[in-house]
This record gives sequence, C-alpha cells and structure tokens, in this order.
Amino acid sequence: MSPVLEAQGLGRTLPGDPPVTLVRDVSFAVAPGTFTAITGPSGCGKSSLLYLLGMIDRPTEGALLLQGENVAELDGDARAQLRLEHFGFVFQFHFLLPEFTAIENVMLPMRRLAKLKPAEIEPRAMELLATMGLAGKETKTPDRLSGGERQRVAIARALANDPMLILGDEPTGNLDSVSSANVVDVFRMLAHEQQRAVVCVTHDLGIAAQADVRISMLDGRVVKVEEA
Amino acid sequence: MIDRLLLLLDIAIKHLSRRKRQTVVAVSGVMVGVGFFLAVSALMIGSQNDFIKTLIDAAPQIIISDELRSPAPQPGVRAFPGSMIAMHGYKVRTEVRGLKNWPAILRAVNAVPGAIGSPSLTGGVTLRVGGREEALGIVGIDPSVETKVSTIADKLRVGHLRDLERVQGGIIIGEDLAQRLGLGMGDVVGATSASGTTRSLRIVGLFKKGQVMMSSSMGYVLLREAQSMLGRPFIINRIGVKLPDPYQADQISKQLEGRFGYKAESWEDRSSDFLALLVTRNVIMYSVVSAILLVASFGIYTVVSTSVSDKRRDIAIMRSMGFSEFDLQLIFIIEGVLLALIGVMCGWLLGFGLMNILGSLNFAVGGENQHVPLDRTPRQYAIAAAASLFAGGIAAWLPARKASRVDPVEILRGAA
Repeated sequence: MSPVLEAQGLGRTLPGDPPVTLVRDVSFAVAPGTFTAITGPSGCGKSSLLYLLGMIDRPTEGALLLQGENVAELDGDARAQLRLEHFGFVFQFHFLLPEFTAIENVMLPMRRLAKLKPAEIEPRAMELLATMGLAGKETKTPDRLSGGERQRVAIARALANDPMLILGDEPTGNLDSVSSANVVDVFRMLAHEQQRAVVCVTHDLGIAAQADVRISMLDGRVVKVEEA
Repeated sequence: MIDRLLLLLDIAIKHLSRRKRQTVVAVSGVMVGVGFFLAVSALMIGSQNDFIKTLIDAAPQIIISDELRSPAPQPGVRAFPGSMIAMHGYKVRTEVRGLKNWPAILRAVNAVPGAIGSPSLTGGVTLRVGGREEALGIVGIDPSVETKVSTIADKLRVGHLRDLERVQGGIIIGEDLAQRLGLGMGDVVGATSASGTTRSLRIVGLFKKGQVMMSSSMGYVLLREAQSMLGRPFIINRIGVKLPDPYQADQISKQLEGRFGYKAESWEDRSSDFLALLVTRNVIMYSVVSAILLVASFGIYTVVSTSVSDKRRDIAIMRSMGFSEFDLQLIFIIEGVLLALIGVMCGWLLGFGLMNILGSLNFAVGGENQHVPLDRTPRQYAIAAAASLFAGGIAAWLPARKASRVDPVEILRGAA
C-alpha cells in the first residue's frame, strides 16, 4: 500500500550558537493500517521527530510527503488546515481544555473544520465517546474524570475529524498499567480495523513490542527499523 | 465562517467565565467610563445648546444697522484720491442717519426662503416721573412682525406686545425700571427725546426681572410713535432678521452686507468670543472622557493579557488541533470586545440612570424653577459605544498578538 506519510532526509536544527540539531536525516514511510512505534532514550529526538511528522514543527532540511505531496514548505495556515483534517494528536498529558466538558472537547475540532452540519456534530461526538467506553460521562469536565478517562476523551477528540494519521507522544506515559494497556489496544484497533496510520513515540518497550514497525532513534538519527 | 466565529466566541466566553472577578472589574471600568461620558456629555451638550439658544434668541439672528463697517470718506478726501497730503481739521459733512432705501433691504431679506425681517427705529429718551429721571433706549417696532423675529414676547411678565397698537402712546418697560420709578401697569410717564419732543406714554406691559438689558434700560413702543417722538419720520435704523436655520446667519449676513453696504451682524459674529469658549469646553470634555475610556481599556488589557499567559497550554493544544494563528488571536480579541460590549451595555444603563437623576433636579434661577438642560440624543450612546469598542479592541489586540506567537512545540515539549 502506498504510504500516507513519508519523511525524506528530514532534519531539524535549532538556530543558535552553537546550533543544536534535534533530528538529522530521517527517512521512513508510514503506511495505512500500521502501528509504528518510535523508541529511544530521552533526548534522542523522538518527540521532535513526531512534531515534524505532525506538522506542528517545521523541518529545516528534507521533505515531508503527505499522500505524495511535499508539505514541508507550506505556510502556517495551510499546515493548520491539514492538521485539522488529517491528523489526530494524543499527548502524554491529556491536554483537554479545562473549561469544556468531555463532549465539548471532542466537538471542538469538528466545529472548527465545519465539514459536518452542526446537527451531526453532537451525535458523532457521543458515538466516539461511547466507543471509548465513556458513555454517560459526556457532560463531565476534565477535572471530574480519571486519568485514563481523560486520555480516552483525548483519543476521541483526536479521532473527531476522522484523520488518516494518529500521532501519539508518550500517550501512556502518565497512566497506570491497566489504562495503559487499554490505550494500546485502542491504538492497535485504530490501525488494524480502521486502516489508519498510527505513529506513537514511547520509551515503554512493552508497548513497542506490540507495534507493527519499531523505529529506534539515537542522537537524532534513526538507528534501526524493525518490522514485526 | 459564522460557525467558526461562534466557536471562537464560545471559547472566549468560557475563558471569561472562568475569571469572573477580573471580568467584573474590567466591565465596571468600561461601564463607569461610558456611564459618565453619557451623563457628562448630555449635560455639556445640553447646556451648550441652551446657551446657544439663548445667544440666538437674545436678539434677532442678524441685525442690519445704519452703520458702515468703515465710515465713508469725507468729500475732501474723496476729491484727491491717493494724494500725498493728509488733510485734517476739515468740516465734517453731516449725514442723515438711518437705513436709506430700507424697503429694498427688507424685500431682499424677505426674499430669502423662510426669513423674516423686522424694521425698527432705536433712539434715546429720558423718562421723567415726579422729579426722577431715567435714560431709556427706546425701540420702535411693528408688534405683529417683531414677535416673529425675536423672543421679546416671551420675556413679558404682564401685558401683550399687541397692546402697543391698541393703546395710544403705549410703552413696554422692564420691571426693574418700573420699580425704580415707582410705576405700574397703566401708569403714565413723561418722555423727552434728544430733539426736545415730550410725550406722555402709558405703560402697557412689563418685562421680567433678571435680564438686565431688557429690564432696566430698554423700552418698546410702536414704530411710528418712535419715529414721531425722535423726530425722524419714515426712517428706520435697524432691521432684525430671523432665519429658518440660525446657522445660515453668517453666510446671509455677509451677502446682505456685501449688497447694501450696511453693517449686518450675525449672532455668531456678535458672540464669537462665547463660541470660542464652547470649543474649549468641548475639548476639555472629550479629553476627560478619552482619559476615562483609556483607563477602562487598561482593565481590558490586563484581563486579556493574563488570559493569554494563563492559556498558553490551551493555545498550544488548539494549534496542534488545527486552529490557525489568526483563530487564536481572534479568540482573545473577541474576549476584549466582549468585555467592552458588556461594559457598554451596563454603561448605557448607568448613563441613562444618571441622566434621569440629573433631569429630575431643579434649580431656582432668577426666581424660576429650572431643570438642568440635558441633551439626550442616541448619538451620544453610539459615540460612547464606538469609542469603547474601539479602545477595547485595541487593548485586546495588543496582548492577543502574543497568543498567535505562542510556539506550540515549545509548550508541548515543556509540558511533556
């Protein structure tokens, strides 16, 4: 299958004296229906790479192909629009907006994209929350939810606009082992059953073991790519 | 686009509802600014209009008098124009005073749409009662025309202007003067003019106290009475003009003066010093009000600025979700405008209340109860709203720029 996202010699150097290189010369492709894990010691540049892949950060070298088109040079608004339509992010911290209830948080990306009619947005948000096992907790604000529940709301929010790509930055880093296993199961399901491309940065080797593709990084470089 | 704005509005409202106390403080700042602006400007504009009205009504809007702006040169000077020899000590030619060809001037005045001209003759007489003498300026008028041109009829305490026509030798004088001379309605008084003519005049009306000019040194008689008493038959020396729009006075007076050569003075001309004073007053008022609004916008700046710094994490997450830089900036501008908007509406109520309180106050001026003059036009409400929203928008825009500059990578990395 043709890759959804492909990095070609991707690099990111912070300007300064001396300049700091976070990511250098990374090339790999992400296919739909696969669960990819990026591992490595802390400070190896795996999160930086994820921000480059998710178009939150801009590479200083190389190209990033989204469905075959180079998106590395696009301006801020175009990148924001692509993020909105094609990417779902899950971070180590849930990053839900504290003033909004669970369902309102899930509705935010849909309302911003406005591809669905306003009347269709709420049922879809309900459905997504139900899929995450959060039926009945829709109107709770984040401070009324447990850590695992918050993270599942965050996943529901990441899925709101039906993105091709789900990017996780240590999504289980803050969870107990049960919740953590739960999140990994969801990620595998998203890849294998819904044919999305899931890329997950983690230092947990147990999670990495369940991935289809494992990418190991060291000092900003990819040192090993293993396929299960 | 509307959905998007509603979404951003929703987020802005949620942000504000989380910081209620600051919101209340910022809103009250705008409220007090707007409220006092409305009350003070209503008072200032009201009193200004009142003042201008008094100025306009004090005398006809244009007075054409038998004076020339520059006296005509004497025949001797005219005979040698541009001569190098200055002449002095020559005998001055006596001119017949009065507006020559006044019917033509009157026709020209009445030809202006809506304008009315009232001819009159002024002169001086001496009133004599029981050994007391008082100098009096008398004005000979045609009562039916004069009432249309000036407000002297409103200034009468007793009697009517048209009684001048009914009573032979009727005169209207001021209460102050009447009191000094010990005269009342219907009393007869002797009047002697400069030319030596003496008449007996009967008092048919009295002007109210409190208007010094009218009340102590002016008397109104019938025009032909004045002409015969002053020994100047068929002559008038003043035409008072009333215009439908008082603000035309300057322009029309210049036209009349250019055409007939006689001095035509508009009310603006007569009171240019007062009008200059009003400009100063307005400058003072608007600078005080701008200062109030400026202070109010500091409140908005503070709220939005702290909101931006508190929400850096949320800004980063919204950016990662796909909100654009402009979206984020807009959220915080909306917050500021929202604060200003709520403040404006509360301020409208406050201003309305203050105006009602001011409007209910009574002051005793000149023995009469007077209300505070207030000008309550929707225009002031609109100005207050526009100024506050503009100031609020600017005050929010400055910190909102910070929101669009938040680097999501930095925040996400720092939090992880």
